[in-house]
Amino acid sequence: MSAVINENAGSLDDVTDGAISIKDVVKIYDPDGAAVMAVDHCSIEIPAGEICMIVGPSGCGKTTLLNAIAGFHGITSGSIHLDGELLCGPQKPQAEPGSDRIVVFQNGALFPWKTNLDNIAFGPMMAGKMSKAEIYEKARGMMADAGLSGTENNYPGEVSSGLRRRVEIVRALMNDPKVLLFDEPYRALDSLTKSVMHEALLEIYYRNKVTIFFITHDLEEAIFLGHRLIIMSSRPCKPKKIVEVDIPHPRDYSVLTSTRFREIMNEAKDVVHEEAQKAFEAGEKEG
Amino acid sequence: MPDPANNSEILRALKSAMPFQMVPDNLIQEIAGICTQQSYDSGQKIYDLGDVADDVFIVVSGSVQHVLSTQTDAGKHEKTMRGGDVFGWAAVLEGQSTRLAVTVSIEPTQVLRINGKGLIQVFKSEPAVGDVVMTRFATLINREFYVPRSIADQVPSFKQALGASSLQGSEVTTMALTVYRISTWIKSPRPYLMLIGFAFFLGFWMLSVEVWQLPRFVDMPGPTEVFTEWFSEDPYYGLSVYTPEYYKHIGISLRRIAFAFFLATGLGVPLGLFLGWSKTFREFIFPLFEVLRPIPVLAWVPLAIIIFSGSETPVVFLTFLASFFATTLNTMLGVESIDESYSRAAYCLGASRWQTFVHVVIPGAMPYIFTGLQISIGVAWFSLVAGEMVSGQYGLGYVINTAYMMIEYPKIIIGMITLGVVGYTTSAMVRMMGDYLMQWRVRELALGDN
Amino acid sequence: MTISKFTDKLFSRAALRGIVAIGIFMVFWEVGARSEEWFGHRFPFIGLVPPPTDVFVSWTGLIADPSYWQSWYMSFLRVFGGFMAAMIVGIPLGLLMAVNRTFYGMAFPSFEVLRPIPPLAWVPASIIFWPTQELSIAFVTFLGAFYTIVINVLGGAKSINKQFLQAAQSMGASQWDIFRRIVLPATLPSIVVGSAVGMGITWEVVVAAEMISGGGSSGGGAGGGLGFFIWSSYVGGSYEQIIVGMISIGIAGYISSELLRQLGGLLTPWLKTR
Repeated sequence: MSAVINENAGSLDDVTDGAISIKDVVKIYDPDGAAVMAVDHCSIEIPAGEICMIVGPSGCGKTTLLNAIAGFHGITSGSIHLDGELLCGPQKPQAEPGSDRIVVFQNGALFPWKTNLDNIAFGPMMAGKMSKAEIYEKARGMMADAGLSGTENNYPGEVSSGLRRRVEIVRALMNDPKVLLFDEPYRALDSLTKSVMHEALLEIYYRNKVTIFFITHDLEEAIFLGHRLIIMSSRPCKPKKIVEVDIPHPRDYSVLTSTRFREIMNEAKDVVHEEAQKAFEAGEKEG
Repeated sequence: MPDPANNSEILRALKSAMPFQMVPDNLIQEIAGICTQQSYDSGQKIYDLGDVADDVFIVVSGSVQHVLSTQTDAGKHEKTMRGGDVFGWAAVLEGQSTRLAVTVSIEPTQVLRINGKGLIQVFKSEPAVGDVVMTRFATLINREFYVPRSIADQVPSFKQALGASSLQGSEVTTMALTVYRISTWIKSPRPYLMLIGFAFFLGFWMLSVEVWQLPRFVDMPGPTEVFTEWFSEDPYYGLSVYTPEYYKHIGISLRRIAFAFFLATGLGVPLGLFLGWSKTFREFIFPLFEVLRPIPVLAWVPLAIIIFSGSETPVVFLTFLASFFATTLNTMLGVESIDESYSRAAYCLGASRWQTFVHVVIPGAMPYIFTGLQISIGVAWFSLVAGEMVSGQYGLGYVINTAYMMIEYPKIIIGMITLGVVGYTTSAMVRMMGDYLMQWRVRELALGDN
Repeated sequence: MTISKFTDKLFSRAALRGIVAIGIFMVFWEVGARSEEWFGHRFPFIGLVPPPTDVFVSWTGLIADPSYWQSWYMSFLRVFGGFMAAMIVGIPLGLLMAVNRTFYGMAFPSFEVLRPIPPLAWVPASIIFWPTQELSIAFVTFLGAFYTIVINVLGGAKSINKQFLQAAQSMGASQWDIFRRIVLPATLPSIVVGSAVGMGITWEVVVAAEMISGGGSSGGGAGGGLGFFIWSSYVGGSYEQIIVGMISIGIAGYISSELLRQLGGLLTPWLKTR
């Protein structure tokens, strides 16, 4: 494992695909005639291969932005490009979901009726470009790399939640996506499992560098994983402060106790707290 | 040899541990002989990573924090061990001489230490028991930590014949769980209470009808009369387990049920799937469905007789109709119950609409479909009996009704009991079919129960 | 505002589609039923059914007929009686099985052995046992709802969140308090669900029992309930009235379920907030 992780781990120079450009995106929901602005003129540039952490209180509209990139719903105005290609914009309000942008869901969306191996093989099986044997071989290889050997024939319901998240990430990576979209995937995990998952995610990232768009409300998680934090204001959702995390990669858990980590934490904390307070006073419910 | 009081405490502690629950008493005594008791203060380390793995531990009282080394690649690293829990199983693993975890007592704790090598020695004399205990060890390790099979496979096997195949992780879980459940069921008061309940029921029936001859009850057939008729080689009313007539009735009822049930499933499941899947289709068809559904199936009897001439088709049609509504409705609800993120995930992974239907919608709705089929087979029998009583030749409902007309009362009860048995068997078959098709669910539930 | 919402809903695409589908169904039925008259060739199956217009005409004739309404009344009375009896016996039995393990161990297996016997199979035995036909119909009706109610109450009471009980205990509640203030209200939603299902079965059973036993003690004629109304229409050859009877039972069943649903909503107000 450690052989793969070299000094180059944090560098984005070798990543060519997966730059996301979000320009002036507005999303207005219109349930029962009462317009609610979920995202307000939001512009974010994410270079290829970056781990970009979107931080904000629960229910601030971060997921709306993620769903727009993934193509689950449309936007009201503005545009989103991936590597210069239009995903959605004025002429095309909703992007097509596709295997270049894969979502890792909040509560996990491994198919409970498929074994871990079949879950991981799902994307290529649907594409039908490789033979079944090739797909399974690749899947087994990737599972072994991620420390998942021995659970191929287990169903997701039989393994721990931490393991399920790892399987889900491997399932996404099987499709060689340009972007991974994480929707608070570790929210339900206890802090100990979470810490193990963070290191595992970074390890996977160092091996397969893809752009990561990661939504969270956990500041520690954000600083530990991210190249950059984008702190969002609560409803309507809009970038409020950008914090560069200049802690060198590869990172491990010793980072958490470093002075630099504390400094960045302090820099970000006040803004996050202020937004959380606003969200709380606005009566935003959890979820 | 420890003093007797102490010995009984050790025995109790051993029997409280899941892997040892099925060990016969003589062997438990032998194992108790190699046990030692030890207590730890709060916060005291019991063993550390890399220590020599000599003993297996059973918690008697208190609790112990058990943290597995990250090198084990376990799915879960931490667990608090309490009374009856077993840890330190590295001592019985083949090819593992050092500890894989750190354990610290988190309150004043009493444990039982069993020497690993000694334990294996004991089991060599009783390989069958040894395998059961080791199988349970493997189950335990797998269940609590989700360790890779490479570790669980190091659990020794005593009988080569049983050996490798029975120690494969997941099969072990289901097999051992079944054995475990049966053994706990036998040991619990449940089977005995059940017998008492049956005795009460039969006793009341017998006393009220045959002994005390209470008013009203005296007209009813009593249990002796019913059972002697039922199992008589020369039945007075011509119907017993020895007459071919009896099986003809069962066979004909079953044939009607099978035909109606399979037709209803074949039509209802696809219709339900499409109703749930396509909003347009649902908006057109579902209101019509909802308008027809409140009409009780049995109210269709006369109309069915008019439309389908003869006596056979109307009965089958009624049975079909009841099944069809239940199956269609539940299948549709099943599709609607599927979490949106599953189909979103499928789209993300590049699946087409049709592929999503096949790989997400159908399996996702499966639990509801089988709930629907369970209801469907129940209402099928319900309607069949009504249909057979009103019209039709042969069948169990017909037996009951004609027995009433001909004042052959014991036959009524024979018909009822047979209906109950056959009806229960068919619905058990549907359930087993569901379990077979939904292994993922069976395995999840097996873990959830414990 | 609420009115505009209501009309929005009425004229929404979904409602229109439903109406279109039902309309097509009615036209198909009318044409099929009159096929012999119009085309000289009778369509299979549907050609034997009386056409909806005839059904409607027959219905308008019946509306002024008190014996038709007497059938409604008789069926409602039986459904209500059997259903109430099932609630009165079934709810305490289910709760008792849920709280007392010994009783559960003794009673539940016998209960499970009897359950697969369809309620209608009890009709002859019931007629032999009970002194009047009316009582025997009531007993079979009771059985229909009974199993469902017991199973739901038992399931509901057994799945109560243990933390509720622990919280009550820690606040010093007595056993009786726990039963009355925690177990009973926590089981209410299951009771409501169970009775809704039970109500459906009750109608099925009443209709069938009325058909099988020939109308009950009040003697033949239209006094025997809607099930008997259908059966006597069939015997008397007035096929339009069979359909009138079917639709009437459908409406009656729907009204009962709706009443029960409203009542359930009143009894469990806390479920609405979620």
